[in-house]
Amino acid sequence: MADSAIKSVRDNIGRVMTEQQIELREHFANQLEKVATDKDTRAFEAIYSHFAPLIKAFGVSSGLSYQGDHLPEELVQEVMLSIWRKAHLFDRRKAAPSTWIFTIARNQRIDILRRLRKYQNDLNADDVWDLTSDTDLFGEIRDTRIQKNVNKELRNLPMDQKQIVAKVFLEDKSHQEVANELNLPLGTVKSRVRLAMQKLKLTMGVNEL
Amino acid sequence: MTLWHPSSDQLIEFSSGVGSSARNIAISAHLDFCPDCKRQVIESESVAAVIFEKQSPVAVADHGFAQLMDRITSQPATSPAAKRTAPSRFPPVVEKLIAHGTESLPWRKPMKNLRVSQLLTDEQGLILGLHHMKAGCRVPQHTHRGHEISLVIEGGFSDQMGSYGPGDFIHLSTEHHHSPQADADGDCWLLSVVEAPVKLTGPLGWILNPFLKA
Repeated sequence: MADSAIKSVRDNIGRVMTEQQIELREHFANQLEKVATDKDTRAFEAIYSHFAPLIKAFGVSSGLSYQGDHLPEELVQEVMLSIWRKAHLFDRRKAAPSTWIFTIARNQRIDILRRLRKYQNDLNADDVWDLTSDTDLFGEIRDTRIQKNVNKELRNLPMDQKQIVAKVFLEDKSHQEVANELNLPLGTVKSRVRLAMQKLKLTMGVNEL
Repeated sequence: MTLWHPSSDQLIEFSSGVGSSARNIAISAHLDFCPDCKRQVIESESVAAVIFEKQSPVAVADHGFAQLMDRITSQPATSPAAKRTAPSRFPPVVEKLIAHGTESLPWRKPMKNLRVSQLLTDEQGLILGLHHMKAGCRVPQHTHRGHEISLVIEGGFSDQMGSYGPGDFIHLSTEHHHSPQADADGDCWLLSVVEAPVKLTGPLGWILNPFLKA
């Protein structure tokens, strides 16, 4: 009896968190659509207020500040400009606003880093990492499921896996660079990343499908 | 659907935006053929986005938004590129690299029925190349250095390990000794990622070093 009560409280918490997340997601999807259709600057400012500090954090994690104090702020400006110009490519049926904005931030970081390294080729990051091409009908459902699951599972992840996943996705480090930094064999890094990704992506798939 | 894919580690590195530009271009072209790998990349991006959202926010500059709006109003956007209407022959990332068509590329012709063109050298010194084998062309037995990649983008070829068609992403290493032969029914076009040339001697040195300037 006690067990089932605890379980129902857990389920409720799970549901409430999910509703908040879904609300937030709906909210920013609406704002992005207003930017796309009406060039609505108030909607754009709402997006800026929420995401700019996260984009800046991403720039700092990526080590941009070591190469110039102004660079994390420059990343914010470039990403927001790109959001303004490409808002028409955002499709709420395919991705969460946060997923779409993450991909833009990643692409702009790649372009800034190339400029710093004075490496150029004929392609921008947007040519290689396509912002538009998810044609999957179930894109949004899958994206929502994964995001829900990651939110739930991230805290259960063993510290060593959590640390490595953060390094891989936030710090602009290849598996080899993570291995060098943590003084681990490359194979260990690869298997920890794989294990972590399996837990983050798949646990829920098994539970809910 | 293809049998030969980037490894899951390579797809995760691609999703996080790190690694060799040449390899990432080959992966991008593979995704155009392979919905399964595409899905894995999108799933990794969803995971990354949650981690991105869970960062501790860092305060932005006070005048940041005003500065941004100044920029937006003073630099009108260049009009977005016209949408492609006809389906392209090669994956879009490859079309973009050979914007003026395959015939305007600088080609080298190491043997009859085979020509190669160097598309770019990346920040790690890896070379992205385009190979065009005429139907039925056979390249003599050779091996590869390090971790090299071939991606079929049109036609197909076979070697001692198997037969490959469009989208197949083939990992080649020093263990891989082969003499690839293009399918008889049509020309084969490949993207390749190879290490920068080192001077090798011997009559077949050019296979290992297709981009070595003579």
